[in-house]
Amino acid sequence: MPPRVDLTKCDGCKAQDEPLCEQVCPGNLMTLNENSQAMCRESSDCWDCMSCTKVYPVGAIETRVPYQIGYHGAKLIPMVGTNSITWTSIDINDKVERFRCKTRND
Amino acid sequence: MGTNPPQIGLYIIDPGETLAEIVDLQAVIQKCAKIRQVEVCEVISDIWAEQSLQTVQETVTENRIDRLVWVGTFTAQQKKTIQNVLLEVGVNPYLHEWCDLQLQTIALGKGTEKTLLGKTLTVIEMALARAKQLQPLVPIKLPASDSVVVVGAGIAGLHAAASFIERGKRVHLVEKQSGVGGKVALLSRFYPLLCNPQCGIEYVLKTLRNSDKLTLHTLSKPLAVEGNAGNFSVTIQSQPRYVDTDRCNGCGLCSNVCPVELPIFLDNIQDEPPFQEAKGIGGLIKETRRAIHASVPFSFPESFVVERASCPEGCCKCEDACPTKAIDLSEQLPAEQNITAGAVLATTGWDPYPLSRLNNYHGYGQHANVIGNLEMEQLLSQISKGSDIPLFPSEGDGNRVGFIQCSGSRNTKHLSYCSSVCCSATIKQIKQLKTLRPDAKCTVFYQDMRCNGFEEELYRELRSTSDVLFVRGFPKVEASNPPEGTKLTLVCEDTFSGRPITTELDLLVLAGGMQPSKAGVEFAELSGLPLNDHNFFEGHYQCYPEESQRTGILTGGCARGPMNASQSIESAGRAAMKALKFLEGTISIEPTYPVVNQLKCDQCKRCVEECPFDCYRLNDKGFPEPDLSKCRQCGNCMGICPVSAISINHLTLKQLAVQIEILENSFLDYEEPIILAFLCENDALVAARSAMDKGLNVPMNVIHIGVPCAGAVNNALIADALSIGIDGVLIGGCKDGQCHYINGNQLVNKRSGDLADKLKTMRVEPERVQSLSLEIHEAERYVTILEDYIQSLKAMGPSPFKL
Repeated sequence: MPPRVDLTKCDGCKAQDEPLCEQVCPGNLMTLNENSQAMCRESSDCWDCMSCTKVYPVGAIETRVPYQIGYHGAKLIPMVGTNSITWTSIDINDKVERFRCKTRND
Repeated sequence: MGTNPPQIGLYIIDPGETLAEIVDLQAVIQKCAKIRQVEVCEVISDIWAEQSLQTVQETVTENRIDRLVWVGTFTAQQKKTIQNVLLEVGVNPYLHEWCDLQLQTIALGKGTEKTLLGKTLTVIEMALARAKQLQPLVPIKLPASDSVVVVGAGIAGLHAAASFIERGKRVHLVEKQSGVGGKVALLSRFYPLLCNPQCGIEYVLKTLRNSDKLTLHTLSKPLAVEGNAGNFSVTIQSQPRYVDTDRCNGCGLCSNVCPVELPIFLDNIQDEPPFQEAKGIGGLIKETRRAIHASVPFSFPESFVVERASCPEGCCKCEDACPTKAIDLSEQLPAEQNITAGAVLATTGWDPYPLSRLNNYHGYGQHANVIGNLEMEQLLSQISKGSDIPLFPSEGDGNRVGFIQCSGSRNTKHLSYCSSVCCSATIKQIKQLKTLRPDAKCTVFYQDMRCNGFEEELYRELRSTSDVLFVRGFPKVEASNPPEGTKLTLVCEDTFSGRPITTELDLLVLAGGMQPSKAGVEFAELSGLPLNDHNFFEGHYQCYPEESQRTGILTGGCARGPMNASQSIESAGRAAMKALKFLEGTISIEPTYPVVNQLKCDQCKRCVEECPFDCYRLNDKGFPEPDLSKCRQCGNCMGICPVSAISINHLTLKQLAVQIEILENSFLDYEEPIILAFLCENDALVAARSAMDKGLNVPMNVIHIGVPCAGAVNNALIADALSIGIDGVLIGGCKDGQCHYINGNQLVNKRSGDLADKLKTMRVEPERVQSLSLEIHEAERYVTILEDYIQSLKAMGPSPFKL
């Protein structure tokens, strides 16, 4: 499932030539639309790696969990700290699970 | 020194054993001694006893420890003394960590024995964790020029230039007119001694005349200001004078033969409308100047100057008359040159508010005898020179003068502010007028007389004189007055009695307001300085009034707002003082500057966008680099960086993160919320500290961390705190508009707002992150806020991440 961009929040990284999501996307799928806001140019190619979701500075990108894993409406939300990522998973029955993993970001 | 890993000396300072009464220090020592890398762990009851610090010194020289953690309560003075003592044995001042128990609410001694012990251990562990990350730091030196460019040679610019020259600095004084002096040179008298300003200018020129450090660029204006503090490159453009300043001896023979006669201060007073068209002054000011004349408004430089545009075609009488062959009337182009300077000082002054815009009321430019207050100054100085020109256009018996205050000022349609000097200027003019023409009858129409400070005494003196009448009201010049007439009829409602008053006058003076000079607005545009709503230069009015948003460019005098001459000189002096640090040949930069980790940086350029002082530039590889000479070390770049790639030295993200990590194990019961408060060191932290000092009941739940600006708090740190189960995160900054770093508080509010939205999707209460504006005196309010916050956190229940 492709990333969903909250257009009320995305500031296109202040219209710099290459926004953060574009830089991190391993498939080079993210780009800016005509309003200088983030968009995924080929949603079927997205691997759901969530790099864009994690890096997004204003929290405007959300990744929907693929239906094969969590059915429609399930969510997986990362919160990036200095050396950890905290994940919140919400399934279609509104069951919330949280887990925190260390990263080697130092 | 330099052992690896770092060895820490932990010293608990407990004067008078007050701390031991609150906390079981033996238990603390036992626990801490077991922590890795803690080599020494001691309680010192009297640190100021002779042998105490000596023992610590010895421990360092024995190479047992290389950094120190001090636990207790310390003043800045004490910290400095301890740092200096240990510097003797080679401990870098940045290898001390201060664990302030007072700030962390422990020294208050409120709470159970268990929680006090638990919190003490937690904050000491936090300090130890940070101490392990400390790095020795030294200030860096950047090369800098020892010249300074002063834009505007009015009274403020001259005084600033004199201060620089007295300190041995090279000064480039850039002036748009042919001579120095600015508006003050046009005055007849100035405050508060009521002496002749020519004398005051002469006095400051004493320093400048004989100095080889001064380069005066007349008929010049800046075109560009490139570079940064310590190394500005200022491009200036100079119009030709047509007179060689070295050869000219100021004899004046050229003026005698010049056939062109011009009104005396054509370009000095009003930029708009063309002055000679205003009928008023034409008949009053009789003095004229020739097309070749001494420098105006004040004859320094002593060399003459040609107004080439006014010369008749083919005339070269002056060239022939000059005994020193100083004049060259051949066509010359404006010259441009680059000046390298460590600092730039803008003393661009003011312009009079165009009184013709008040035509509906006062008939300036329509009636021969309506003049502005600057013209009145000229008139007074002309008369005091003993000229036989009558004071009033009407022949014979005219002696009635009216003054209308606030002409243009304090009026939302014109200048909404008070020009602050006009009331006193009117008083001054009346006083001089009465000496020159004792029979003059004056009427002052005013809204409120605003004579500040000692000027009030002069006002009172005049008020008690019988032939000066003060009327509170806003008069109109009757439309029926014939434009060419010599008498004016004014109608006005006396707002005290409510009665209409009709006054006949021979001369009407409009006390016009001050507006920023056109040159100042142009300078702001070319140098990228912000202006306030009224187009004066903006600074932080209380804390660094003369400093601009661009480090190294300072503003002084009326360029900052309406001031009288003496205030303007004071302001210039302050600005010069602030500029001196950029002119020392080197600039010393505190080592607490931001560093960009290029391995992490994604080149998103957010730091470039959001730095309040525009410090960041991209290097040739596309990575942002702070210009340290501009940087004010506020840390907003550290806060903004989405990939946590920027850290301020001595307060790195890592140093903050390791401290937060310690809080994973709560020192309170499970139900009791833990609050982590990041507080701005400028006011919120001071407010919190004073709450402790006052002994207010600050809850134990809060842990304080000081940051240079609320904007330095990165969302990653908040995420860290929340994810280890801290129940609430508080970010305390300044009130809007009071931030010393322009808008750090707003930036962090926006970011924590974004984070709160994310928390909502994560099914975490967004109220767990709160930002707060706190003024420095609001200790009581801080405690109330904390108590309310704890209540609401308790209502929410423990954090979902809490173990």
